[in-house]
Amino acid sequence: MGAFLIKDIMLLLRDRYELIILLAMPFLLIAILGFSLRGIFSGDLEALEMDVALVSEDNEAQGIEAVQNNVDGMGLSQEAEQALKQLAESASPQTMLTSLLDSEEISGLVAIERMGREQAEENLEAQSVDAIIIVPDGFTQSALNNMLFGASGGAQLEVLAADGASPKSDVLVSILEEFVRTVNFESSISRLAGDRATVEISGGIETITAQKSMTSFQYYTVSMAVMFVLFVGSAVARQANLEQRQMVFERIRLSNRPPLLYLSSKAVAAAAIVFIQLSLLFGLSTLLFQTFAADSWDFWLGIALISVVLAVSVGCLAAFMVALTLRVESDAVPAIFSAGVISLMAFVGGSFVPLDGMPESIRTIGSWTPNGAALSAYFSWMLDPDVHQLSGPLARICMVCVLFLAAALALFPRKGGAA
Amino acid sequence: MLETDKLTKKFKDTLAVDDVSLELRKGESVGLLGPNGAGKSTAIAMISTLLKPSSGDVRLHGKSVLKDPGDMRRVLGVVPQKIALYEELSAYENLKFFGRLYGLSGKKLEQRIGYVLDLVGLADRKKELVKHYSGGMQRRVNLAAAMMHEPEVLIMDEPTVGIDPQSRNHLLETIRRLNREEGMTVLYTSHYMEEVEKLCDRVYIMDHGKVIAQGTKEKLKAILSDQETVWIEFDQSYPELFKKLSEIEGVQHADADERSLKLIIPKGMRLLASLFHEAERHGAQVTNVHVQTPTLEDVFLRLTGRTLRD
Ligand SMILES: Nc1ncnc2c1ncn2[C@@H]1O[C@H](COP(=O)(O)OP(=O)(O)O)[C@@H](O)[C@H]1O
Ligand SMILES: [Mg+2]
Repeated sequence: MGAFLIKDIMLLLRDRYELIILLAMPFLLIAILGFSLRGIFSGDLEALEMDVALVSEDNEAQGIEAVQNNVDGMGLSQEAEQALKQLAESASPQTMLTSLLDSEEISGLVAIERMGREQAEENLEAQSVDAIIIVPDGFTQSALNNMLFGASGGAQLEVLAADGASPKSDVLVSILEEFVRTVNFESSISRLAGDRATVEISGGIETITAQKSMTSFQYYTVSMAVMFVLFVGSAVARQANLEQRQMVFERIRLSNRPPLLYLSSKAVAAAAIVFIQLSLLFGLSTLLFQTFAADSWDFWLGIALISVVLAVSVGCLAAFMVALTLRVESDAVPAIFSAGVISLMAFVGGSFVPLDGMPESIRTIGSWTPNGAALSAYFSWMLDPDVHQLSGPLARICMVCVLFLAAALALFPRKGGAA
Repeated sequence: MLETDKLTKKFKDTLAVDDVSLELRKGESVGLLGPNGAGKSTAIAMISTLLKPSSGDVRLHGKSVLKDPGDMRRVLGVVPQKIALYEELSAYENLKFFGRLYGLSGKKLEQRIGYVLDLVGLADRKKELVKHYSGGMQRRVNLAAAMMHEPEVLIMDEPTVGIDPQSRNHLLETIRRLNREEGMTVLYTSHYMEEVEKLCDRVYIMDHGKVIAQGTKEKLKAILSDQETVWIEFDQSYPELFKKLSEIEGVQHADADERSLKLIIPKGMRLLASLFHEAERHGAQVTNVHVQTPTLEDVFLRLTGRTLRD
């Protein structure tokens, strides 16, 4: 096994073409996308600048007071009452929304002007504003009720956008959605007819402190990494094809080593290469772009765990591809895989665009691809380092591994005998 | 020690190897001679357990190797027709890998690598990548790799195709030494009869999947004992004269080149008188006449009516 491993890894390191694909390309993409789309994530992208009217039909103070009165009637201890009242005041959703919109990041992207509803609608008509955010009556009260007491219904934000301003309003919607995600409520956006989007907020109090979001570099480091590890599969399969064509494979057979040793070595080599690749991508990205905090051991432990599982899954995928390549005796397998299948997997896995707006079916398929599952595991770990949330995606990856292995064993030409 | 029994391989509609029975005795050097497409490589693939015969058997020490190829694989060193090496690795790294496949390690491995590199004369260039070697050097490493596990039998499939004369001589010399001095049993495949003639004690001649003749070189040439090959050189080309000479009664075969003519005639035929007579009539000048002892090439020509290079 050792001989195979050393040889496979050595061959890969000498292959400049593969190295470019496996390391240089994703790194370049991380750099380009990370810099150029920084605005989408943090708001200094001038090109997307839009004028937005903020219409508040909600009386914040009244809402907070109503909720606090509500607390009084619950017969809680003095301290609990006090704490809840405090919370209601500091966690006021409207205040949070306002401070988000006024924040340095967003204010560079969206120019907010507060006005009355009628005036806002006139301005929208006259196209002097691109969109209206409406904070409806009772927003604070129902949001707080929802947050503090888990009352159903939830509060809604409405976005009205002018016709034809859709790409911009999409950005706005995603910012608001980001807002919702930032305070980590469950959220869903449903688009209504007439370019009207509703951001529903509902959720519980316990998660309100987890204030985290992602930078563009974090987003693209992960999404490029999970995509480009797939190329290891085709690289290894291409190597197997070369061995078959150049009859090195015959030499290996003549050494009378168990054929499965060859296959498993390929899988292990692929997994090892993927792990090295992921370490380099995450490491370099952190080193050069300060993508991740370098000093949090727990954080990196989680990243390493996900990376190991992802590496193993690409190993299994590679075994499957090697078996298939040897079976059909053609390098068409790795060629088709790297030219088309990888893009497809990357797309449904969410490496190109976030899957939030995609149909359910695509999201389901994506969640079963090793890259898609790993992507959501990474993201969930980055937003909230909770091991329990990893079990879902990681379990899916493991099941896919078993499938790949079974297929590999079924396809692998058993040339142990005099065949 | 090694034999094939009515070995046959059919690929869809081509009968690549047809009823071939060979035998290899210990310490022997045996040639398998035949033109391209004769079925040599296919036969070798079956002997070396890489290809399943359609019918027939391969036996090592009287025991069939079809079910359990392990023993055969341990004994054989196979030099394939292609350069079966990793181009992106150096000669040393290739040998190390193949050595480790055979369970060699540590000092033993290094010693063996040193030995085979010396054998093929590449010790001082072992660090270079195989892809930077000349064709001849690649062939030499190809042989070295087959020697890593100290095989008893060396099977070579056209190991000298496409290499420079110097490398070719080196390779042939190496094989000869292995056979003569180290008692290595050799099965040597080629379509160059000079090589087989130089290297091998016994020869099988294959054509269209069949063995059409076999025996020691002397025995095979005895097929032609009733014939002589006359080789005549002229000062320039005389197509008409060549044609005339070919048609002289008794000439069995004629092979014309630019300025020379090769005639196969029955032993004792009085050719020279008519040769000079005809030459004078055409105003041609004979610069050289040479009566050759037959070669294996001639044997093949006689048996098939074609040359090995056809
Ligand atoms: N894998 C194969 N499939 C079909 N035909 C083959 C295959 N291998 C060899 N042949 C055919 O079998 C014949 C013998 O080929 P080969 O053994 O390579 O001859 P040689 O080595 O003497 O040149 C040729 O006609 C060749 O086309
Ligand atoms: Mg051949």
